[in-house]
Amino acid sequence: MSRELSLGQAVNEALQIAMETDPDVILMGEDVAGGGDRTGDDVDEMGGVLGTTRGLVKAFPDRVLDTPISEMGILGAAVGAAITGMRPVVELMFMDFIGTCLDPLLNQAAKFRYMFGGKVRVPLTVRTVTGAGMQAAAQHSQSLYWLTAGIPGLKTVIPSNPIDAKGLLLAAIRDDNPVVFCEAKMVLGSIAEVPAGDYEIPIGEAALVREGGDVSLIGMGATVPMCRSAAEQLARDGIQADVLDLRSIQPLDEEAILATLEKTGSVVVVDEATPRSSVASDIAALCVDRGFDFLNTPVKRISAPHCPVPFSRPLEQAYIPSIDRIVETVRGLA
Amino acid sequence: MAATVIAMPRLGMTMEEGTVVEWPLPIGAPVSKGQTVLVIETEKTEAEIEATASGVFRHIYVEPGETVACGTLCGAISDTADEAFDADAFAAAHAPPESAHPKVPTFETGAGASAKAAAPLSDDDRSGKRPVAPAARALARELELDVDAIPGSGPGGRVTKQDVAAHAAARERLVSVAPGIALEVLRAGDGDPVLLMPGFGADASAFAPQSAELSVDYSLIAVNPRGVGLSDAPDQQRYEIPQAAHDAAALLDRPSHVIGASLGAAVALELALQHADKIRSLTLITPFVRASPRLLAVIEAWCRIAERDDPKTLAAFLAPWLFGDGLLADEVARRRTLQGLAAMSARTPAAGLRRWAAGIAVWSGTREDSLATIRIPTLCIVAGRDLLTPDSTRIAAAIPDSRTQEIADAGHGVTIEAADAVTAAIRAHLNRS
Repeated sequence: MSRELSLGQAVNEALQIAMETDPDVILMGEDVAGGGDRTGDDVDEMGGVLGTTRGLVKAFPDRVLDTPISEMGILGAAVGAAITGMRPVVELMFMDFIGTCLDPLLNQAAKFRYMFGGKVRVPLTVRTVTGAGMQAAAQHSQSLYWLTAGIPGLKTVIPSNPIDAKGLLLAAIRDDNPVVFCEAKMVLGSIAEVPAGDYEIPIGEAALVREGGDVSLIGMGATVPMCRSAAEQLARDGIQADVLDLRSIQPLDEEAILATLEKTGSVVVVDEATPRSSVASDIAALCVDRGFDFLNTPVKRISAPHCPVPFSRPLEQAYIPSIDRIVETVRGLA
Repeated sequence: MAATVIAMPRLGMTMEEGTVVEWPLPIGAPVSKGQTVLVIETEKTEAEIEATASGVFRHIYVEPGETVACGTLCGAISDTADEAFDADAFAAAHAPPESAHPKVPTFETGAGASAKAAAPLSDDDRSGKRPVAPAARALARELELDVDAIPGSGPGGRVTKQDVAAHAAARERLVSVAPGIALEVLRAGDGDPVLLMPGFGADASAFAPQSAELSVDYSLIAVNPRGVGLSDAPDQQRYEIPQAAHDAAALLDRPSHVIGASLGAAVALELALQHADKIRSLTLITPFVRASPRLLAVIEAWCRIAERDDPKTLAAFLAPWLFGDGLLADEVARRRTLQGLAAMSARTPAAGLRRWAAGIAVWSGTREDSLATIRIPTLCIVAGRDLLTPDSTRIAAAIPDSRTQEIADAGHGVTIEAADAVTAAIRAHLNRS
């Protein structure tokens, strides 16, 4: 059985399943309960700033914890809980705020298992919202997944659709390592038939979501639907595109990337983040390094410019990678 | 008693040479320090060069129009008008270092240019600096092919993996037609033989829209003439149309249907006049016997762009000459056609185009009176929007056993633009003949 759910609703369902199947799973964050009445059912709690966790506090009154507005406090408490037997899922309202709580992630959660010779597990999941598209301006619109992807000891995933979101979040929560789970704003409201019940999508496996053969479009999170739309447009010109949804940024599915490169000889990476030290650049380097003899065209990166996300709607739209840019880039290859 | 050097200055870090534009003063004129004695040009910018000493403008070593390296002695100023001045001795004393010797005049100017310009551009001139995709290099290595000898169809002439694969496949298709001359021949289908000859700057793929259907009932022999595709490109002054007819005749072992478009139609006519016994029927698509001034002008521009620019630019130039508004207005069809034209242009190197252009020029007008002697059933396909071969209709009228099929809205490139109509007309003609 499956129902139509948004990505946000699929996340909510995954959280519910995780909490039902494992009593150690707890939720923490700013307004994740949102003032919800733990006993009565006449108060409509907030469920986080975007309402993603709405309803959970009623089902699990003692395990959904509102925190003070202190990311350092939330992450510090969560890392402590994780290494002492809980399986915490925390909400970092926007990934832009990671600067205020980087130490618990970068230097504690990411290092413990390594430094203590594998004797400590850190089953922590950080849910966070990334990306532009909602006119949330420069401090609430960044795509910083490249940052956590670059820290050994952390995993970073970014689903592009509700089905993957549910399965990836369940896998993230049940992973014994810290996982950063990114919810890209532009796909949070996307709708799909989501299977009911409990399922996981393995972290580290990309999905070939469209088969072409002429060019490989590689996307992650919000850029995957752009790649699919661009592929449909290109098909009208007789250009058939593979579309690869990375799903997991670290670990990166290098074999899937090289397989599609080998098939098409042409790679266009579409990344919502800024271009320096980016996932797109990393993939371009991988293609040249391990896939050089497959390359039939230059590897193209489509990303945001190296600049803060603008507030103005027309500027923000110009900033975000677009279907037109993908189509034009591919046409320029032949 | 001394003289002062006027040298080609180095005006910027990247400047390596400059061209003398003008010596504003006559020899013997007095010069003051700081006065302009020389005008030079570098990177399209002119600069006035001032005298570094006062005296008399005495000698010119580098004439206007010549380009020399920075530091080269260009002229001299002597202190006074009546002192002795030995120009050769002064030059010897002020010879620049070996690397800065005056250069041979550049391509466009001076005596050295004619030799360079007269020599046809070899394939190497087009392929020397072309980019090669890593995948193409790898495949060429695997197939033991010289990647630099393979024409590229990508942006900027990049050799792609597909180019290497096509090249490898095409090498299997070479057929010897004359001593030392092999032509690339594409064959398809089974039945009575049909010879297909493409137009100027085109290759056998120009008939791709017709091939699928015709190959059901006929054995197609599509030939790339000299200098096109993988066919040999002998270094001749021109590729003569009668010679092309002999080449084509060598491919026919029994009477065949012969189809030619434009230049290919000229070869077909010549074949009909010289080897009538080898021809069952003739199909002339937008033919000409006398090249119009416009056709010659377009061919000249075609050659020049092919020599200097990339296939995409050439395709963009050609499209409005070859096609009618219908195709040009259809965004998808136009883009596909441009891609096809660019790919085809990459297979028709500029050197070959020049030789065919020269061949057309000498053949033009030589066969008008012979048309009446042709006794072969002939179909003449003319295009209503043809800008290049206005004498198409008169050719059909001059051949006794002929009929004309006009395709109203298409341009000169009618086999592509009105592919189905052309195919249908050819089929009907072959069935009758």
